[in-house]
Amino acid sequence: MEIGQAFTVSALGSQFLVGLSRAMILFIVSAGMSFVLGVLRVPNVAHGSLYMIGAFAAFSISNLLGGGTAGFWLALILAPLVVALVSLIAERSLFCHLYEREHLMLLLFTFALMLILGDLVKMVWGADYRSIMAPELLQGSVNIFDSPFPRYNLFLLIIGPLVGIGLWLFSNKTKVGKIARAAAVDREMVGAIGINVSWVFAFAFVLGCFLAGLGGALVSPTISVTIGMDHDIIIEAFLIVTIGGLGNMWGALVGSLIFGLTQAFGILFWPQFAIVFPYIAVVIVLTWKPRGMLKSVW
Amino acid sequence: MKKGYIWGIIVVLVVIAAVVVYFATRPPTIARPIKVGIIDCYSGPAAVYGKDALNGFKLALEEINKEGVLGNKIEFTTRDTKFKVDIALNMAKELVMRENVDVLVGTINSGAALAVSDAVAKKEKVPFMVWISKSERITGEKGHRYVFSTGENTAMAGKAGGVALSKKPYVKYWIGGDDYSYGHDIANAAWRNLKALKPDVEVIGKSWWKPGEPDLVPYITAILGAKPDAVIFCTGGRSMTNIMKAVKATGMAEKVPIWIHSATDHAVLKPLGAEAPEGVLGTMDYHFYYPDTAANREFVKKFEAAYGNPPGFPAFHGYITAHFIAEAFKKAGALDREKFIDALEGLKIASPAGEIEMRACDHQVVLPMYLGVTKKSPKYGFVIATDIVTLAGDEVLPTCEEIAEARKKK
Amino acid sequence: MFRDIFNLKSVGPLVVIFIILLILPTILPRFYTYILAVIFVTALLAMSLNMVVGHGGLFQFHHGAFYGVGAYTVALMLTKTSLPVWTGFIAGPIIAALTGLLIGAFCVRLTRLYFGMLQISLGSLIWAIAFRWYSLTGGDDGMHGIPMPPIISSQNSAYYFTLIIMAICLIIMYLIFKSPFGATLQAIRDNPERCEAIGINVRRHQLIAIVIATFFAGIAGVLFVVVEGSVFPDLLFWVFSLEIFIMCLLGGWFTFAGPVLGAAIMISLRTFVGIYTEYWTLILGIILILLIFFLPEGVWGYILEKFGRQSKEAIEGGSK
Repeated sequence: MEIGQAFTVSALGSQFLVGLSRAMILFIVSAGMSFVLGVLRVPNVAHGSLYMIGAFAAFSISNLLGGGTAGFWLALILAPLVVALVSLIAERSLFCHLYEREHLMLLLFTFALMLILGDLVKMVWGADYRSIMAPELLQGSVNIFDSPFPRYNLFLLIIGPLVGIGLWLFSNKTKVGKIARAAAVDREMVGAIGINVSWVFAFAFVLGCFLAGLGGALVSPTISVTIGMDHDIIIEAFLIVTIGGLGNMWGALVGSLIFGLTQAFGILFWPQFAIVFPYIAVVIVLTWKPRGMLKSVW
Repeated sequence: MKKGYIWGIIVVLVVIAAVVVYFATRPPTIARPIKVGIIDCYSGPAAVYGKDALNGFKLALEEINKEGVLGNKIEFTTRDTKFKVDIALNMAKELVMRENVDVLVGTINSGAALAVSDAVAKKEKVPFMVWISKSERITGEKGHRYVFSTGENTAMAGKAGGVALSKKPYVKYWIGGDDYSYGHDIANAAWRNLKALKPDVEVIGKSWWKPGEPDLVPYITAILGAKPDAVIFCTGGRSMTNIMKAVKATGMAEKVPIWIHSATDHAVLKPLGAEAPEGVLGTMDYHFYYPDTAANREFVKKFEAAYGNPPGFPAFHGYITAHFIAEAFKKAGALDREKFIDALEGLKIASPAGEIEMRACDHQVVLPMYLGVTKKSPKYGFVIATDIVTLAGDEVLPTCEEIAEARKKK
Repeated sequence: MFRDIFNLKSVGPLVVIFIILLILPTILPRFYTYILAVIFVTALLAMSLNMVVGHGGLFQFHHGAFYGVGAYTVALMLTKTSLPVWTGFIAGPIIAALTGLLIGAFCVRLTRLYFGMLQISLGSLIWAIAFRWYSLTGGDDGMHGIPMPPIISSQNSAYYFTLIIMAICLIIMYLIFKSPFGATLQAIRDNPERCEAIGINVRRHQLIAIVIATFFAGIAGVLFVVVEGSVFPDLLFWVFSLEIFIMCLLGGWFTFAGPVLGAAIMISLRTFVGIYTEYWTLILGIILILLIFFLPEGVWGYILEKFGRQSKEAIEGGSK
């Protein structure tokens, strides 16, 4: 009875598309985390807090601009920049003094940052639920495969690959991107050829946080923007970068697709136990490939 | 000499009588303020409810302390539980053992409420008033002398939903919800009642998602694919916003009828603005715009003046909790926990929603439930409940016999 | 052997502390006794985690799962079966250790973060069982009012019980830490490749360490039930595991006694700052940052550095 659905092509097709669109948000957030992991070698526990700040900043900016279509687009551009600024301040004032320290101290630092940012967000924005409206163009849904597919999810399907292409161009075609990639593989080497490693680290950290903020801004029209959002995403992002291959940005993409699609198809077959899907996916992937799907820098 | 002696005795007797009469008729007073300890969640997604309840409580205390209780005041102190059971236990014990509070009040987390009810209230013999958590077990099978509930519970909500749905022609149902006890409790209670009233209904599928799941569209497309006659969603808090947005984005409400308890909660609907779906069936135990009585209008006006927002259901619960405490102490006439409990049992107070009673048999407040349909309101600029049908409190509550049965089983 | 390990100089202060702790409940208000008992439980848990994190170099990210398994086992045995009470107390740690063996066997094939993430996933599956199986575990509401044998049901007796069991466990842990096994484990942490090369079975050593650590985590879980009388799925949630991990880092994870201090600091901050402000996580975060900057070796590491070169050697035994 629970599995009593007709698995028509159209049902599978529509689940595939929604799974894919969910994967896009996960990809953007976890690519940021993967970047920080790859270059700085630290699991950034505060990544989720920055995602939350991205969503709240998007709310405030679009509200400030009257909440219309222009407000939404500007919020989408400005909110990640706000997050990048916050992370730059945290990095330059505190984090950068710790690079020489014992590695796990960096983890402790990001944990402390998570605690502080969580409470700061509560002080600034309060406990109320906030909501942002998508622009008119992206409201409602279109019919694909005989079932309604929200226009906003279509938009995510476009923006995800764009961000992916942007990241690829950045890390392969720009100098600073190449340095960051090189630093991920061998940081001593990069330092030895006379590049200021501290700034490379700062750059990687800020870029990672920018992506977290972008993810938060992108997700904000589909959810309730509220304190506590940070906890939801952080574990998922961690698991994604792990199964993809730590520090490998394309691994983040593969991991996100695995998560998004297991979720979407799992719901079709086994909708009562959605709460364990991500964990089962991780167990299967890591048992099969102990170092993630793609080549890891760790 | 002798005459003077008699007069002297008379004077002394009169003075004694006067003193006795004075003390007998004078209202009893207490030497120190009544201390209320509040444990609730002021962090994380549930904070919006915790803060709302606290505001309602504070507003009531202002009114109460103007005239005082037993010649003294009610004071309160709060602790943040972070939605964690172990912290709630630490804080509750701290309030009872270190602060020596007379009454404990809290919390939204049903696990924490049950833990504190057992480990602190029952063991330390401190009255504990649960004001937001909706688990029916608090005053049901796990109830005892020291725990009270001043909010509606899942049994009441489920019954209201079951009664409402049984009058509709739907047969094939899909049940979906947040995968935690609140979701399951509502689903079970609604289904129990619906099945009893209309035996030919069937569940064609269930989906449970993690509480606060950000992306509910895949669940909805899967449900729509199964083509149920109607859907019961059991969500709360921020998941409510998420499900409302997903329902709106997929146009689900136009395709399938939906019932969600507390769908008409304005804490959820107000931020959504025009983005909330219309035509969703919801139940609530309080609306700031309904019942449209003078008492409620007065309460809403005062609340808005103090906090800038209309009161939500937690504020209403907080407000009546404070009044229950004050009235019970007045009735008890002393700062005594046992006398307070005796006084609270069966106590009736006036509230914004009319006269309400603290039922003596299970310590559950008797509140009416309001069944409504979401519809855009030009007056407020967001979606509110319309076509409201009131189900009286004793109609939706389990009977005292049922409660006694449930407690015995345990 | 014992003379080497327990010289009077290092044991003396510990005995004094122990005696003070024995007397304390007669002087302290009840609440402080209770919080001390909570600290003992958490300290034991953090110590058990540090056996694998600090001494073993493993990213044991989901230690809370084993703590929870111990707690749930004893809770279920006491409420759902009519077996003698002590069987539950023994079963708790044993089931936790078996879970540790099972999960550990999966995880030791992996390294570092992969190890940690696989463990989080497997541990979360156990969490999901506790969270979802309403008829057995009470689901996310948990189980409350677990009946304790009368001898440890009062608050003071629970305090003494926790204190004594914790003390015994710490002594055993110290012996393990000082044993050849402990030395091998620390050598593996510092240089796994070399150990592999000289013929040490790295994975087996790590697995044994995990089993031992999870056994002690199970004991801590049982003690939690003794102190609180409740179990709930938060105990097995990854957030809590992260907190224990942080306690180890905070106290100083290269030292033996650091985690005790870390646990004491976290619990006290949470309890006593929480009295004054709801923003206690902010304060905790700021204090953590200050500690990171000024006490890079952790609190206990700093104390050792500052006050006792010689006792540092005695206690730390050149573990670094």
